[in-house]
Amino acid sequence: MYDNIQARLQKGGTILLDGALGSELVRRGVRWRKHGLLTDADRVKQLHEEYLAAGADVLRTNTFQLNPRIFLNVFRNRQHMRHIGAPGLEDLAPQLVRTSVAQARQARAQAGLEKTVAIAGVLSPLEHCFRPDLAPPPDAARREHEELARVFAEEKVDFLLLESMNTLAEAKAALAAGRAVGLPVWVSFVLGPEGELLGREPLEKAVAEMEKGGAEVVLVNCAPPEDITRALGRMKKFATRPFGGFAHIGRFSPPSWKFDFFPQFTDTEEWPPDRYAREADRWREQGARVVGGCCGTGPAHIAALRAWLGKNGAGSPRP
Amino acid sequence: MSYAAIRDRLARQQTVVLDGAIGTEILRRQVTWADHQLANRPEVVRSIHEDYIRAGADVISTNSFQLCRRALYNHFRDDAHRRHIGARDLDERAEKLLAASVRLAIEARERAAAGRPVAVAAAVTTLEWCFRPDLAPAADQARREYREIFQVMKDSGADLVLLETVNSIGEARVALEVAKSLGLPAWISFVCDEKGLLFTGETLAAAAAALEPLGVDAILLNCAPPDDITAGMKALAPHARVPIGAYPHIGRFDPPEWMFTDEYPPARYCEVAAQWKQMGARILGGCCGTTPEHIAALCTLP
Repeated sequence: MYDNIQARLQKGGTILLDGALGSELVRRGVRWRKHGLLTDADRVKQLHEEYLAAGADVLRTNTFQLNPRIFLNVFRNRQHMRHIGAPGLEDLAPQLVRTSVAQARQARAQAGLEKTVAIAGVLSPLEHCFRPDLAPPPDAARREHEELARVFAEEKVDFLLLESMNTLAEAKAALAAGRAVGLPVWVSFVLGPEGELLGREPLEKAVAEMEKGGAEVVLVNCAPPEDITRALGRMKKFATRPFGGFAHIGRFSPPSWKFDFFPQFTDTEEWPPDRYAREADRWREQGARVVGGCCGTGPAHIAALRAWLGKNGAGSPRP
Repeated sequence: MSYAAIRDRLARQQTVVLDGAIGTEILRRQVTWADHQLANRPEVVRSIHEDYIRAGADVISTNSFQLCRRALYNHFRDDAHRRHIGARDLDERAEKLLAASVRLAIEARERAAAGRPVAVAAAVTTLEWCFRPDLAPAADQARREYREIFQVMKDSGADLVLLETVNSIGEARVALEVAKSLGLPAWISFVCDEKGLLFTGETLAAAAAALEPLGVDAILLNCAPPDDITAGMKALAPHARVPIGAYPHIGRFDPPEWMFTDEYPPARYCEVAAQWKQMGARILGGCCGTTPEHIAALCTLP
């Protein structure tokens, strides 16, 4: 379905992403283990379906921060993982990736939207998305991202979305990996409080490098809505391809033990759907062509964005 | 101080029974362990403590494994980032939850101990991931952080410190020095590999030699499968002059949760524990995967 998305972008349309998966599943009380992919498949699919009903053009796979490292990192080494770990942990991440694509695909089929909605395979930093200091060296990043990108390609996702990338080096490696497996790639950077990449590299340089590397769309995400607004105002000046953003709302409330990725956001009521849509209004003014929701948002936020896009003719409802 | 009774028993060469797992027991009771559940489901935590006391445990450990400021802060780039997007209570959260963990254990003792002396151990592990000695912070930094943690636990009424799943002599020494400077009895428990070595490759003989002069009250082994614990006991027992003990895990680590297996039902668990007792172990309990039934079985050991 990527042709459809691409054509709409070329015609000046706006593409609506879905909202958060992890934080919304946690908010709904899903016990957070293996992203709910194995134990709560119905609720994951249900959430995908709700995003489709809200009007999303793109479904993202439930794979944020899901890679072999998240399992390996909590053991002394690979041998220790085999010794005391559950059977099959070594090969679990790619299997979960396949499961996540299947669940998104089932939701899309259920809604009869195979011809219009695209499935984006989500890759993210191999280490913690908020810890650019832990990013692996580029050669390891390239190898590991390519391994997962290949799985997404085999599962026939429509494109790859590199989400919350926190360093330019890892983004470049992942972008090259995605291109190597023949998938269109969108790259989204997590912003630091200074408004640049969380790893402190300049956003302008990052956008230029990603465009040079063949990214079809460059985005910013996982920062508060006003930060996204400011960043988009700058991207307007230096982006030469379609760009966009999706904000998180509320405050990140990490787990009280050393859990790698536990998407819990509190105080999200500070950004009800209508307020979020009003802020996204400014994103459109800045020229954003892809909008959606990051952590803390839910189907109602996406529905509000869809309603707003409809009113403003910017996003002709899904064909 | 409820530790006096425990110290006496150890001095008389009697067996002291430690409790079993808290975190995995929360999971077994179908509650998520994405959080320690100290604030959201305190009744679940307290009832687990009570069940261990009723099973016969002499020492119960607080539900505070890995709970510290660093564990929360590690999820952010730095202070500026945390303040920008983090939950508003993060600067005080660790301290409040640590205090709550001690309070719940004390409440459980009041409800279930029925006058029997039960000590509350402040369960604290390495500042970084317990299986990753490569991540350990520098000694000066570690000292400051342990001081903060132990002070809260002491002020909240913990009777001793149980530093568990320790992976290096260096971090054990720092934590022990801090505990002693605060006047807290301290048990140090190491995780060992199948050869009975620490994860740094250091020996348990070296660990005993380093910690005993600093006043360690007991040295234990935990969070390894029973066979590895046996290897560790062989390496430790001939060298230790202080009381020693063991509490293995059973089942398999299935991050972020635990896979329960039927490999070590209470009776079999008790058989291996009897071997450690014969090798000199005076403190026996259970780590991940063990249940109140396992602890009850340990209490039947002659």
